[in-house]
Amino acid sequence: MEILSDITFNIQLKKITFCNYQLKIDQKVMALTFPQVLQLRNKVTLLTSEENLEDIIQNENYVLLFIADKKHLVFLEIPILLDLKDELSYCFDNF
Amino acid sequence: MKTAIRRQMTISTDVMDLLNDQIALEMHASASYLAMASWCDQRELVNSKAFFYKQSEEERGHAMKIFEFVNDAGGASISPAVPFVGNDFAGLREIYEMSLDQEIRVTQAIYKCFKKARSVDDFASEVFLQWFVTEQVEEEDTVRSILDTFDLMGDMPLKMIDERLPKE
Repeated sequence: MEILSDITFNIQLKKITFCNYQLKIDQKVMALTFPQVLQLRNKVTLLTSEENLEDIIQNENYVLLFIADKKHLVFLEIPILLDLKDELSYCFDNF
Repeated sequence: MKTAIRRQMTISTDVMDLLNDQIALEMHASASYLAMASWCDQRELVNSKAFFYKQSEEERGHAMKIFEFVNDAGGASISPAVPFVGNDFAGLREIYEMSLDQEIRVTQAIYKCFKKARSVDDFASEVFLQWFVTEQVEEEDTVRSILDTFDLMGDMPLKMIDERLPKE
């Protein structure tokens, strides 16, 4: 874990204080509360369902996603969207 | 980061997702019962209409119970979209049969949540869901008893069968 602390990832979700999180997608850094993280997880889960992914790939091939109660709008291509899904899954995969 | 998430939420996210699916299913059942109540109401089948209006309220009550639990446990409840429900029925018996099938689907979905809660050691959700397991036994039994009445009464007119159904 300590080895990883020096590495910068393209997508990273970090805890800042008890209820504040920071999401970094490429160069964009966004502050999120926990409910906003949950909301993001829900959106990303929906978008990355098999059916929706296929639909996205066959049409625009990207998604525009509102984050943090519509404070930020991000442009995500499919690989980035899947990375974001993995990052969120990793964060929540601990119960 | 992982510990941070656990400090915000009591329940597992996998169970939370299934509970949100369950909310959608219960709301769908509520809407479906409302359609059945309307069919009975238009035909003056007073006991059946009262039964289905009450069932509709009950299903909504179940959805709300889960909705509040998920939020209370630190998760995020999702207000569901209610898909199309059929308003066209062939008869009263068919309505009760559909009602039993619907209750069985709800029971199976509750079992799915329960199994997931157990498999991920989400004890809070497991204990919460115990009430639903018991409730579903009661719900299925009520509809089965009504279908037994249909069998006993054979080809009697609808109105007469309706009068012999349990009053709410």
